[in-house]
Amino acid sequence: MSLFALLALGFLAAGAAPRLVRHAGRFAATLLALVPATIFVALLGLSPRVRDGMPVAETWPWVPALGIDLTLRLDGFSLLFSLMISGVGALVVVYAGAYFAEKPAAVRARFLTLILLFMTAMLGTVLSDNLVVLFLFWEATSIVSFLLVGFEAGSATARRAAVQALLVTGGGGLALLGGIVLIGAELGTYSLSALYARAPELANSPRAPLVAVAILLAAFTKSAQYPFYFWLPNAMQAPTPASAYLHSATMVKLGIFLLARFEYLLAPLPGYRSVLVAFGAVTMLVASVQALRASGFKAVLAYSTVASLGILVMLVGLDGPVASVALVGFLVAHALYKATLFFCAGIVLHATGEGQLRRLGGLARTLPLTAAAALLASLSMAGIPPFFGFVSKELLFEAQIESSWEAAPIVVAVLVNATMVAVAGIVSLRPFFIPGRAATPVLHGETPGLLLGPLVLAVIGAGLSLRPDIVTRNIIEPAVRDVLRTPVAVEVSLWHGFTPMLLLSGLVFVAGGAIWFFSRTIHSFLNRLRGLDRISGDALYERGIAAVLRAAERVTRRLQHGDLRRYLGTTVLALLVACAVVMWRVGARPSLDLSGPVRPVAVGLLVVAVLAAVAVVRSRSTIAALVAVGLAGVSTALLYLVNGAPDLALTQFSVEALLVVLLTAFVLPLPLATAPTRSRPERRWDAALATGFGIAVLVGLQSLTNQPFDRALTDAYERLSVPEGFGRNVVNVILVDFRALDTLGETAVIAMATLVVWSLFRMSGRSPEAADAPRMPGAFVLAVQGRPLFWLVLAMSILILLRGHNEPGGGFVGGLVGALAFAILTLAEGADRAGRTMRFHPMAIAGLGLALALASGLAPGCPYLDHSWGTIGPAGVSLKVGTTILFDVGVYLAVLGGVTAMLRRAYREGAR
Amino acid sequence: MNLLYALATAILCGIGLYLMLSRHLVRMALGVSLLSAAINLVILQAGRLGAVLPPLVAEGAATVAAGTANPVPQALVLTAIVIGLALVALFAALVLAAWIKLGTLDTRAMRAAEPTAAAEPGPAPDAVKP
Repeated sequence: MSLFALLALGFLAAGAAPRLVRHAGRFAATLLALVPATIFVALLGLSPRVRDGMPVAETWPWVPALGIDLTLRLDGFSLLFSLMISGVGALVVVYAGAYFAEKPAAVRARFLTLILLFMTAMLGTVLSDNLVVLFLFWEATSIVSFLLVGFEAGSATARRAAVQALLVTGGGGLALLGGIVLIGAELGTYSLSALYARAPELANSPRAPLVAVAILLAAFTKSAQYPFYFWLPNAMQAPTPASAYLHSATMVKLGIFLLARFEYLLAPLPGYRSVLVAFGAVTMLVASVQALRASGFKAVLAYSTVASLGILVMLVGLDGPVASVALVGFLVAHALYKATLFFCAGIVLHATGEGQLRRLGGLARTLPLTAAAALLASLSMAGIPPFFGFVSKELLFEAQIESSWEAAPIVVAVLVNATMVAVAGIVSLRPFFIPGRAATPVLHGETPGLLLGPLVLAVIGAGLSLRPDIVTRNIIEPAVRDVLRTPVAVEVSLWHGFTPMLLLSGLVFVAGGAIWFFSRTIHSFLNRLRGLDRISGDALYERGIAAVLRAAERVTRRLQHGDLRRYLGTTVLALLVACAVVMWRVGARPSLDLSGPVRPVAVGLLVVAVLAAVAVVRSRSTIAALVAVGLAGVSTALLYLVNGAPDLALTQFSVEALLVVLLTAFVLPLPLATAPTRSRPERRWDAALATGFGIAVLVGLQSLTNQPFDRALTDAYERLSVPEGFGRNVVNVILVDFRALDTLGETAVIAMATLVVWSLFRMSGRSPEAADAPRMPGAFVLAVQGRPLFWLVLAMSILILLRGHNEPGGGFVGGLVGALAFAILTLAEGADRAGRTMRFHPMAIAGLGLALALASGLAPGCPYLDHSWGTIGPAGVSLKVGTTILFDVGVYLAVLGGVTAMLRRAYREGAR
Repeated sequence: MNLLYALATAILCGIGLYLMLSRHLVRMALGVSLLSAAINLVILQAGRLGAVLPPLVAEGAATVAAGTANPVPQALVLTAIVIGLALVALFAALVLAAWIKLGTLDTRAMRAAEPTAAAEPGPAPDAVKP
């Protein structure tokens, strides 16, 4: 079966889970477990190929331009992980079905969906050969883990734990992304197998230390190393099936997976291995102490998992081939016994409702099979022969003796392993076999679904070491080979003879027994040491989060002060500073452009415009200021006229006229005199800012016009206007043909602005229709001449629209003039009668115009807005028509309707 | 002449900005209006001034005569003028709406979206027009 098909199967199962739970009821989980089981069997089927050194690789191009392909690759090491993921996954699904048996179907469906999604994401992570794809799956595991830890969303503790797990592992994910991007930038590839081929290049690149730090951060957060380990014990808020799967057997080992994958690439860096050994050792020690301090069943298991992860990190760090063998062996042993113990913890929790170890006792009588599984698993954990845990522990000591390190790691390992022995006793002997004051009452017994997982794993853990050669040859040897990237003969056997390792094992066992014997004393002694809480990362996390929130609040208060004037001032200041910095950096020097003959008319108009603008500032009367703004606008219009832009002049004139009508309606209800709102220093500061802005505009414009002018675009439009656009007014042809899409967007902007104005007053709650007071017996001239003038201007607007393609004019100007016609009518006869003359709602007209403009571009067989032309009319008198006229009519209607709608609103609202 | 155009445009821009920095909504609206007109002049100058003939092709001719104005900035400015109208009208409508709802035209008193910590609580959203 193809690897892609395996992943797809996982996704499909996750998607099908809710439906299956609804229809198959209590058998749904068992049915769903067939999917991971199938994946497990399919992977086993591929294992002979992998063993013989032929990895399975499949590629699906995804973003080839960025070097991102969906490449899956199954080699010995990913096979090891895939088998753990799918094998334990199948058991977890069955277990979860039984664990949630009394819960509503919706809860069961949600959990099964998440757990299957998680399994698929895990498989994707370990199978990805492309680092970017690996990162995506890696993040997916973080997110699903967040959802699973916070599964009981009603509990505040669960939510906090979920957020904490997400922030810590997500932060590591960001580091991973950074590392991957650095690798891509250095070597130009994201493919792991390509990287292996060029390993020295990466190790010798100047950014290799950064890459190493990023990878270490990602691995240490995901695999709960000190000081990031605190999220894992807190994540025990997750339902036990999730804890068994995510937090013991699979997800937390992703960090180890990453480290092992990069060992070959990064280990040559000086100090890299020492960092791993040091962090692993500290984590082991801290976690061992915390495990002895903890009192919850799951908490003890969680800390012992952290300690195991520390051992694994140390094993990656140790050099020598035996270290890799020990790594793989311990991965297998740990997945088997720790998942079993979590399963058993879940059964106890479920049956008694009690999670505190000291209140549990004598459960072997009521939960006999659970007790048996727990016993087998903890014997393996304690490293008692003949269990697989013993084999892996012997390998650990062998790796340490063989490595180039001195005694320190060995001392730590002995201590930590002794604690593991004690913990094994604490979690199996005490609750099950040694009766407390009274045996803990049990609400219900064991069910087959709950028992399947722990029993299967415990029996495998016990049986594996009887025939270690099978698993060695098929799983361990290929995995070690693909970590070290060189074939290694692995000899795993139960009995090595009398070796130093055996001596150390014996030492561990004696010390562990002692710790166990005095564990209650040690537990209460350690719990009195409050100082230990301070070095836990949890407190650091709390302080960090609080500091971030405080800083965010300070920054927000500083930046989001709510003062509009300061916002604008800051923006302008930043703009000016940016301009100055850029000018200084490129060494630009302002230059004067004195070219062009001085034209008295233009100079006069400029002077009028500037004086009008000054008058706006000086005037405290709204009316006077409005007139002055209008004067500046009219001067601009005349400037357009004398500079060969009649279209613009026409438009600006219409706009000025309309603005007078609109603004008087909107502004006249307001107080007409404006008192200063700025103090004298504030005004001075604003004036300085405005002067700076003006200087920037001046310098920019002068430098711009001093540059040689590139006429290419202008020439092209002028040349093509008649032959391709069939119009003699180049401006209009650009608008409706060459750049029609821009024009369409701008028309839409006008329609949107109208919509906002229209709805703005509707929201004020009062019906504008009711308040339409006939306040107009306006000017006598208008009353008499309003209607004829209206028809005249309206006819003119249509003329302007139609001739626009060849003469000055067009849809925009036409629409404005048309709106002006209705403005005249409004002034003469009131908004009501003007509205009746229009017949249709102005918003409807605007919408129709926009629709027409949109539709005009849809000519069959040619690109959007690439207008088509045809000839109509009887022979002889042919008339050239194109869809451009439809487009321009659309623009006309949109502008006419939009501006008229605003006018009507202005007059209805202003009248009140 | 180019210097004079640039100078006048710069003054208009500066005055427009000065008005926009005011805390009075009406003056801000006037500033927006002035600034949008001034920026249109900037665009026009970017396409170079000097020619006085409109960019029209004579009947029967294939292309424009020599010495016509640049049509590209004109096309840009034309839509910009109309959008400027829509912008100013929208601004004015907002000013009126603010007056009806809040009874003030001073931006310092408009703190409903970003209330100050404690010192000066903004006017109640349903404050009526005096």
